[in-house]
Amino acid sequence: MQKVVTVNLNGNAYSLEEPGFDALRTYLQRAQARLTDNPDRAEIMADLEQAIAEKCARFLGSHKTVVTSAEIETILAEMGPVENADERADTVRDAPKAESQGAPPRDADAPKRLYQIREGAMLTGVCNGLAAFFNVDVTLVRIIFVILAICTAGAWVLVYIGLAFIVPYADTSEDRAAAYGLPFNAEELISQAKLHHAHFKARHAWRRQWRREQRAWHRHWHRQWRHVSEQAQMAATPPAPSMGYVGNTVLGISLPFIAVVSAALFVVWAFAMISLLTTGAIFGWPLPPGVPLWAGVVILVALHILVTAPLRAARFGGPRHWGTPAYGAWAALYGVLWIAFTAIFFWFAYLHIPQIHALIERLPEIWTHVTTGITV
Amino acid sequence: MDIPQKLAPIRKGLLEFVILRVVAADKVYVADMLKRLSETEFATQEVTLYPLLSKLRREELVDYEWQESDAGPPRKYYKLTAKGRAQLSVLNDYWKDLNRTLADFGK
Repeated sequence: MQKVVTVNLNGNAYSLEEPGFDALRTYLQRAQARLTDNPDRAEIMADLEQAIAEKCARFLGSHKTVVTSAEIETILAEMGPVENADERADTVRDAPKAESQGAPPRDADAPKRLYQIREGAMLTGVCNGLAAFFNVDVTLVRIIFVILAICTAGAWVLVYIGLAFIVPYADTSEDRAAAYGLPFNAEELISQAKLHHAHFKARHAWRRQWRREQRAWHRHWHRQWRHVSEQAQMAATPPAPSMGYVGNTVLGISLPFIAVVSAALFVVWAFAMISLLTTGAIFGWPLPPGVPLWAGVVILVALHILVTAPLRAARFGGPRHWGTPAYGAWAALYGVLWIAFTAIFFWFAYLHIPQIHALIERLPEIWTHVTTGITV
Repeated sequence: MDIPQKLAPIRKGLLEFVILRVVAADKVYVADMLKRLSETEFATQEVTLYPLLSKLRREELVDYEWQESDAGPPRKYYKLTAKGRAQLSVLNDYWKDLNRTLADFGK
């Protein structure tokens, strides 16, 4: 059983099932929004309502007085997607939209709102939502949040918790589109879904190929090994693995190496920051005269981001470069490791290094020093 | 990319011309116009056609008149204005020139 809504379509009364009514109302609202600049908006809207009314009449008879939701869907499909409803886009049906080829465009008209985004979130998705809102890398937002949390002696965590409670979640497709500032309509959703599907397929194809090559390599190697043990006098040359496998292996070895290098860089950076905050000089080198302490902090942060950028690019760009969009998985893993590493590092430092112990105890004092430095 | 998709911009550009020709033939109601177009390469939908017709009317190329209908409220029947007729004959000539040019290139 469905609730029925009676509507007035350009002077005709029709009974529609409630979900169908909702779909129709959304459709007409979008059409109206799309025609904002059109001087004949009212007339075109009346024409559209009239056309819908006539299509509704087609589905009604003496024993059928309600238009079902499915019939409304059919009618709206016949009317065409609203995105084409402005006179510039007087397209013929089935004409491909240029932007549907690549990434969806960011439309200036599309609403952009701040949301928490659960997909790829580390905690509640606040940073993820902010990154989407400002169109920057989420790792950068997280780094800024961690730095702020450290600099404010944890007070920033309260801001984070506040945001987590206040900022709504992007739960519907429409919300998510608004979070990224993308135009929301059926066409866009379909093109995005296609894009994701293509990525998904590419990723699985890559995995399959990788496994296949690995198996082949193993088989080959085992055969060679038997060969060697049976005829010990023969010097069997090791098989040359295929190029793809070599590439994967190089990446497999270099990834942990890059991770160690960036961890080491982070330790150096953290010590530099600590020595700057405690002594006002970086490892004994004082700041140039006239450069305030807060500027030194900003310069250090910028330097760290600058130095580690190529490493990040190598780590995340590598797999993506060869058509494996495992970027998300790598980024998530890296983020978790990074936060865990930072937490453990500070915990140990607090316990075992007197200077850092003193620093953390002195953080409120340093904070006032830094803020007065900014305001003065 | 298949041929119909490749030529979609051409069809899009020609839609206005096609509409003018359809309207020139006889006074037409939008639903009938769509039905006629739906069997051709120029199949289109209400949501596209109504704004296009309103634009043509603002440019004074077409006009409509209300006609009583047996089923439901009065309907808008579109027809060509004198200006529209002049425009159409220019377009027709241009189209013939284009066809001639096309025919002249390689046979």
